[in-house]
Amino acid sequence: MNNRVRELREAKGWSQGELALRLDVSRQTVNAIETGKYDPSLPLAFKLAKLFKQAIEDLFDPGE
Amino acid sequence: MKRQTRQQYRMRVWLLMAVYVALIFFVWPHAKTASSLPLRALFALLPTVPVIGVIAVMLHHVMCSDELEQRIHTNALGIATAIVCIASLIGGFLAAAHVLALGGDILLWVFPLVCVSYAASRWLLARRYGGAGCE
Repeated sequence: MNNRVRELREAKGWSQGELALRLDVSRQTVNAIETGKYDPSLPLAFKLAKLFKQAIEDLFDPGE
Repeated sequence: MKRQTRQQYRMRVWLLMAVYVALIFFVWPHAKTASSLPLRALFALLPTVPVIGVIAVMLHHVMCSDELEQRIHTNALGIATAIVCIASLIGGFLAAAHVLALGGDILLWVFPLVCVSYAASRWLLARRYGGAGCE
């Protein structure tokens, strides 16, 4: 699944570690989401969407 | 539950393992020489206490991990369990067929084998997700 997490994080000027702290996850998890190696659960996806003030479908693209 | 830092987790595990090694070297040998049966049983079982502590620390660590880390831990535990089951089956069948002579002492190696397989699987799985290990 493609996502805009890296783009939005960089726009906010946050490091992966800072985003990880805000989401209460590890930096490794943020990195895995950004590189598309891991698709987050629905609660974490909602947390990301809320943090970036975006709709989930604007953040994640199933890439059909 | 509060997340443990990697340093806290390692320190707790190393501390308990140091207790375990001390018990193995200084207490466990008395299990063979103690006069009464209850005392021999106590000396023999004492090393399991720090091991139970290590398991508790590991459980706490897994429970406090995030969703990706929990996935890595549980997958690694599954792989480690499969490895130990297969090794036990192979050893068991060979011993039952009198191809190999295995004593009861072999059971002492089950927990270390689980730990080594778990650590190796966890490292490999963490690499798959682009990390060097779980925090």
